[in-house]
Amino acid sequence: MVNIGLTVNQKLFEISVDENLRLIDLLRDKLGFHGTKEGCGEGECGACTVIMDGETVNSCLVMAFQANGSNITTIEGMEKDGKLHPIQQAYIDAGAVQCGFCIPGMVLSTKALLDKNSHPNRDEIREGISGNLCRCTGYNKMLDATEMAIKYMEEEKE
Amino acid sequence: MKKIGKGIGVSFYGTGYGNGFPDVSRAIIRLLPEGKIGIYCGVTEVGQGAKTSMRQIAAEVLGLGVEDIELVHENTSLMPDSGTAAATRQTYNTGNAIKIACENMRTELFKKTKEALSLNSTAGLVLENGEIILGFFPQKRISFKELAEIYKGEKILEASGEFTAQTTQMDEETGQGAPYWPYTFNACAVEVEVDTNTGIVNLLRATFAQDAGRAVNPQLLEGQMDGGFAMGLGYALFEDLNIENGKMKNNKFSKYLIPTAMDMIDIKNIIVEDPESTAPYGAKGIGEPVMIPIAPAILNAIYDAIGVRIKELPVTPEKLMKAIRESA
Repeated sequence: MVNIGLTVNQKLFEISVDENLRLIDLLRDKLGFHGTKEGCGEGECGACTVIMDGETVNSCLVMAFQANGSNITTIEGMEKDGKLHPIQQAYIDAGAVQCGFCIPGMVLSTKALLDKNSHPNRDEIREGISGNLCRCTGYNKMLDATEMAIKYMEEEKE
Repeated sequence: MKKIGKGIGVSFYGTGYGNGFPDVSRAIIRLLPEGKIGIYCGVTEVGQGAKTSMRQIAAEVLGLGVEDIELVHENTSLMPDSGTAAATRQTYNTGNAIKIACENMRTELFKKTKEALSLNSTAGLVLENGEIILGFFPQKRISFKELAEIYKGEKILEASGEFTAQTTQMDEETGQGAPYWPYTFNACAVEVEVDTNTGIVNLLRATFAQDAGRAVNPQLLEGQMDGGFAMGLGYALFEDLNIENGKMKNNKFSKYLIPTAMDMIDIKNIIVEDPESTAPYGAKGIGEPVMIPIAPAILNAIYDAIGVRIKELPVTPEKLMKAIRESA
């Protein structure tokens, strides 16, 4: 066992974990953030994407102890004061959600993209979410949603 | 050398189980407290939008907003069976069952309105924004909410509906007949760029037209068209199970490649509305048909670009290079 401390969705957690525990298991089973989905478990599908210190990671490929001292955002950390994040709202409004399994990871990849580049073009959005596989939507509505989210966030600033 | 070609693919698809097989959907409608309407129906949401479109159909019949309709589904202890979310059948089959159940509910609501308002007939009653109104004398009116106050607990108002699709069995000897109803139609056109040095095929442009009878929810429909296009694209160019001695060799996403956002392009989607007379407000399913014309359109475009006819999918760069060499 190893003692670690990490911030998840702006809340500090101190916990003792097995050395072989994956970050996704820590988030889901120990801390109760079930919004993070496990898809392939091999770092290929992106369903388990979370944001760790500003970068997207596949939480199935990160060991829990490696997250010691880090700052993590999961899908639960997106909404504020009971209100959906503009990216989440835009995904709904654009019809970008079908079965929904890839969506938590997809939304977090979109957030990480927009945090670094507030006005990406469609090709840059395609690249930004290309680590997240979706079998239902064909991605185009997600591009529409991202463009919509950029507008929502500008309106929020005004 | 990079060569450009254009191709089209067209298809028609019989929805539902077909071939005379019993294809039944059922629904129960209840008047809930606060005057909301509950649909109790086995329709399964698999991401296709049943939860939205089924409520839209009920809202249309009962003159309510979608927010006043609750769909209770996916729990066999609470609702009747509505068949599988398969065969592109839910919009047509279960949509019909829900529409019939709601029409029966409307009859029931009118009967109870006649009693509550001491009318001598249900003639002339109309549904509007959660109220039942006598059209030519609108002072006579009662809301769903008021009716729900009267009819609660054991007296709860409910109606049911059932729809069985009409299909006929094919002749076993000749394979002839009309096994499906209804059919849905589509057409896809693509422009591709083929690199004859690498065998890589790039999509440049695509237009996709899908007949939906009536688009219950155009946004969801476009989403399914995009999704079907992406699946057809993967089927044509990337996806290979690579089965050897009965074992799937490409059993992970690093080997079994499906399209990413970077493989897709923006598609010009065209929804064709030609209402089907036996369908709920004319609407037919499109779930599976949206995949079908994509791969043929891509293969035709490759042929147009380089004059090589591909007969085995997926058209990986290796296979395409081999086909080019063999045709030379």
